[in-house]
Amino acid sequence: MTALPLVGFLALSSALFAVGLFGILTRRNFILVLIAIEIAMNAAILNFVYFGAFSGGTGGLSGQAIAVVLIGFAATEVAVGLAIVLALNRLKGTINVAQANDLKL
Amino acid sequence: MSLEELAFLALAAVALFTGVAALLVRELVHTILWIAVFFVDISAIYFLLEAPFLGVLQLGVYAGAVTVLLLFGVMLTRKRIFSREAVTGIGAVPLALATVTFIFAVTAVGELPQAAQPVRAYDPSLLSEALFTTYGPYLLLLGLVMMGAVAGAIYLVREGRE
Repeated sequence: MTALPLVGFLALSSALFAVGLFGILTRRNFILVLIAIEIAMNAAILNFVYFGAFSGGTGGLSGQAIAVVLIGFAATEVAVGLAIVLALNRLKGTINVAQANDLKL
Repeated sequence: MSLEELAFLALAAVALFTGVAALLVRELVHTILWIAVFFVDISAIYFLLEAPFLGVLQLGVYAGAVTVLLLFGVMLTRKRIFSREAVTGIGAVPLALATVTFIFAVTAVGELPQAAQPVRAYDPSLLSEALFTTYGPYLLLLGLVMMGAVAGAIYLVREGRE
């Protein structure tokens, strides 16, 4: 039987979320921003699995089922994100997010 | 310290290192190689948590599909895939914000019990049963959202738009 401290896992996903947040705020390349979003999203999905694995009853199954659905949503988000990258590249000739400012006042 | 805890510490260190490395390396293709290692590492954490179905799903969807999709994005948006990225600074304010978020989260976590707890294992067949009965609506919603997203993605990249 595996026994592990929950706190270590939660610290890991907080750190990964912080890394993702940092990437979203500082990177200028659209693909890097997407990758940073993926890191943050993975940290969030991990949280569901931890609490499921350490909870009693059928709680673990809810955690895992929600994680399955969230992995699907994350994959969808990457597909739409890359479509936006390609459209932006065709429109502007660059994928620098600092130059995609047409909606700025 | 048990073997599982050592395995967890090693996996956590690799996850943090590859996550940071993916965002800081200069060449975009190297970023994708690092992020592939990150996804495989997260999958190993799922196996450690006795969730083999999620581990396999993570390998298939993230390490397989998402990585290749990102690689295609890089290939289609630049002339030479090994061209270097312009240097972007660390950015003091975002770094401070991320640090504050991390400290806040860890402080909130500090209230929880520190001792090792047993990890509950579930049979994958139980999970599949739950997915198609209790969580059926969520799965259906995922299917609908995916269909809409694919239609939207095709609309965004189609040729000959006004």
